[in-house]
Amino acid sequence: MARVHPAWRPGSQGIATAAILVFCGGLVAYPLVYLIAEALNVGESDVFPPSEYGVGNFVDLIDDWHVLANTAFVACLATVMAIAIGFLAAWTLTRTKIPGRPQLERLMQLPYYMTPLVGALAWSILAAPRTGFINQLWHLVGGGGNIVNVYSPFGIAWVMSLFEGTVAFVMISAAMKSMDPALEESARVLGAGKWRTMLTVTLPLVMPGVLGATVFVFAEMLGSFAAAFVLGIPGRYVVITTAIWQAVQSFPPDYPRAAAMGIALFAVMFATLSMYRLIVRGGNYATITGKAFRPRTMAMGRLAWVLFAACLTYVAVAVVLPLGALLLTSFQRFATVILAESQLTLANYQTALGFGAVRSALTNSLVLGVGVASVGVAVMTVLVWIIYRSKAPGHGLIEYVVMFPQAVPRMVFGLAMLWAWLNIPIPIYGTLWLLALAYFTVMLPLGVRTLAGVVLQIDKSLEECARVCGASWGYQLRTVTMPLLRPGIIAAWLLVFIASVRELGVSIFLVGPNAKVIAPSIISAYVSSSSELSSALAIIQTLAVFVALLVLFRATRRFSGELT
Amino acid sequence: MSDARIEITDLIVRYGDAPAVNGVSFTVGQGEHVTLLGPSGCGKTTTLRAIAGLEEPSGGSIRIDGATVYSAAERRNVPAEKRGVSMVFQSYAVWPHMTVANNVAYGLRVRKLPKAEIAEQVDRALGLVQMRDFAERSAALLSGGQQQRVALARAIAFSPTVLLFDEPLSNLDAKLRVEMRVELRALQRRLGVTSLYVTHDQEEALAISDRVIVMNVGGIEQIGTPEDIYNRPKTRFVADFVGSANLIAGRVKNGASSAGPVAFDAAGGLTLQAWAAHAPRGSEGHVAIRTAYIDMAAGGPNGRANSAAGTIRQRLFHGDFIQYIVDWAAGELTVRRPPTELFDEGAAVTLSFAPEHCILLER
Repeated sequence: MARVHPAWRPGSQGIATAAILVFCGGLVAYPLVYLIAEALNVGESDVFPPSEYGVGNFVDLIDDWHVLANTAFVACLATVMAIAIGFLAAWTLTRTKIPGRPQLERLMQLPYYMTPLVGALAWSILAAPRTGFINQLWHLVGGGGNIVNVYSPFGIAWVMSLFEGTVAFVMISAAMKSMDPALEESARVLGAGKWRTMLTVTLPLVMPGVLGATVFVFAEMLGSFAAAFVLGIPGRYVVITTAIWQAVQSFPPDYPRAAAMGIALFAVMFATLSMYRLIVRGGNYATITGKAFRPRTMAMGRLAWVLFAACLTYVAVAVVLPLGALLLTSFQRFATVILAESQLTLANYQTALGFGAVRSALTNSLVLGVGVASVGVAVMTVLVWIIYRSKAPGHGLIEYVVMFPQAVPRMVFGLAMLWAWLNIPIPIYGTLWLLALAYFTVMLPLGVRTLAGVVLQIDKSLEECARVCGASWGYQLRTVTMPLLRPGIIAAWLLVFIASVRELGVSIFLVGPNAKVIAPSIISAYVSSSSELSSALAIIQTLAVFVALLVLFRATRRFSGELT
Repeated sequence: MSDARIEITDLIVRYGDAPAVNGVSFTVGQGEHVTLLGPSGCGKTTTLRAIAGLEEPSGGSIRIDGATVYSAAERRNVPAEKRGVSMVFQSYAVWPHMTVANNVAYGLRVRKLPKAEIAEQVDRALGLVQMRDFAERSAALLSGGQQQRVALARAIAFSPTVLLFDEPLSNLDAKLRVEMRVELRALQRRLGVTSLYVTHDQEEALAISDRVIVMNVGGIEQIGTPEDIYNRPKTRFVADFVGSANLIAGRVKNGASSAGPVAFDAAGGLTLQAWAAHAPRGSEGHVAIRTAYIDMAAGGPNGRANSAAGTIRQRLFHGDFIQYIVDWAAGELTVRRPPTELFDEGAAVTLSFAPEHCILLER
């Protein structure tokens, strides 16, 4: 035993921890510093660093009060609707006896994979005033005026709540599933009736979960861009994200105003998400053990079929109907639901797959998706291991740093990256490299959370045993940790791939003439008033996502079987 | 002890501010099988993990095979993989993504041994635990008892000089546990490997150890052979935790101050003839009497030392023994007798026990 290691020598883990902290911390914090500086710029708007600092840009936000009011109104409306959908669905699927529950549970998650952009596009085709399919049919049967108008705050909230409804559903049903049925049973045994039990035991125990979901969904609504853009701009209904977009697109671009709005949005979202963390932690009664229980389900009689139909309706309205409308439109010269007037064509797909700019956007998105997922997940695996397993100092801080992007609205982060890299003499602005860097940063929370779920399931002694057997850290990671993490790594890879292919918020500010990606291309196709071409693009994007999703379902089912 | 394989001196391990192990010292000799015994939270597992290099102590020193692997004074901490010890984990930690043979070969591959030798050692180790037929089986498909054997084979495959066991039998069902106990003891004797074993099961500790170290709240209560620990407990904790004993409070008569026979005044005017292993400190104290060492007979006093009258209050039939709660002058006494000696509740009996079974405790 000749080799001796002093106790305080920074080992390989310590060095890795420090390097990660500097790199990830820089990626996350550095652009935000630039954005804050720009928000305080009251001198020449296109000079950086600013010649004069002041809070004038924030004071000017008061003039934009209607934008702020619009934002709050839409966010509140959509949150209420999303929570209503989520709560009802969660309760139905966890606490009642309804037919086909396991299949329904899978189906209910589908709307999440329809992005708000695709949803908004589809609903503008379905329910735009005059030209929308629903209004076309209404006119066909002799109706006058518009029966529906999706270019309104209600339309934005409707599309957003269809999307966020799934998020609420997953969060609330997790809270419902983690409740020990013995808590309810003991109330029943002590003589409380069905309703009394529900009011005095069930609801109070589920409340933190519902409240947490409400706050979380609200924060997401505040930062959402796609639906507000597609459905808000035609009706001149501006919320904060679209106002930021307009400020950047105006000539000359008003970066200080955009930055001030971005920082304000970030501050509100950060406060909201902090509240969420507080609720989730404070609501951690002894019931939420992380252990999944099989809750007792109630027989609902005929009502079961009503609930069953309600769930199916949700999936139809959120997935089937929009996809149908998009599919139909993508094969037409002019979008119409009246098939007699329809001129079918493949031209949109020919343009999408043949036209240089559009085709390169598709290729770029796929390349970015594969690249970011492959490199990103490898890095994230080491990250997750250090966060949850290492004893090196600073490992707790890493968790905070990598989860931080979650609190920054995508758009704001895109704006910050834009501003930061415009002013750095490293020429990667307008290239795919910058997009890759941005994607990696904003996907950190997603990848880390997915992998953490698996790491935490692996018994620590499996790794300790490798060390005691004489394996070094690297050898242990390679022979024990990585193979055991394989299902998690595959899931994380696919989720990051999916998220990259649909990325909009960050991309929209970072694409350049030679670095286009698909989601912003859908937006520009839509702006240049071709809902047919943008439909074709949306269908292609959705197809890529669903293929990845199918692989994910197959892979996780097989691996979860292997693990247990 | 010159042939000590493991030497622990003043070991301190903290979790946050609270010391989990507080100044523990002991040695384990060549080929010896020593057990750390204590209730959960007593620091026994933490001590073991510190020896393996899985917890970093904050004070004291650990020497394995004469080499210092941890020393607070020298600021030295050899990482787990360089300590050359082997360990069997409570959860077995058998890697589910490998075959049985690959699990067992792991430590040999890490040491970059030639292929032929690896195969030979794996075969030998699997043979020792009677798992040769399972070599190519996926480890995920094994039962608990089989996983236990694989974990054991893996731990001994690279012929470590020191073997650590962290409650290896606690996840097995009762019957299998007793069987494995016998096998483990035989294997340990055959290999002559120095081992340190952690358990909270006092029966297991007494059955398989050369020496037992009883721990409580981060410190050592007593070190001794199993017979020593059982027959001459030093403290109230040991008397109570290991086996079952009656603890009787009282005072040492005439202020006796040397080891050997002492007279002990208990409640109810009883004077017991007791045995002090060490010179008594002060006069207040306790004596311990094992429940199995008390004779019970019908009828009046028989004139032996420590004989007194009692009345049976309660009888509990356990199968292998019968437990009686007996009222006597000094309060109540628990007595265990073989099922062949049956007394009725309410019966008047004479209790008696030898002075050397009535142990004066140090504290």
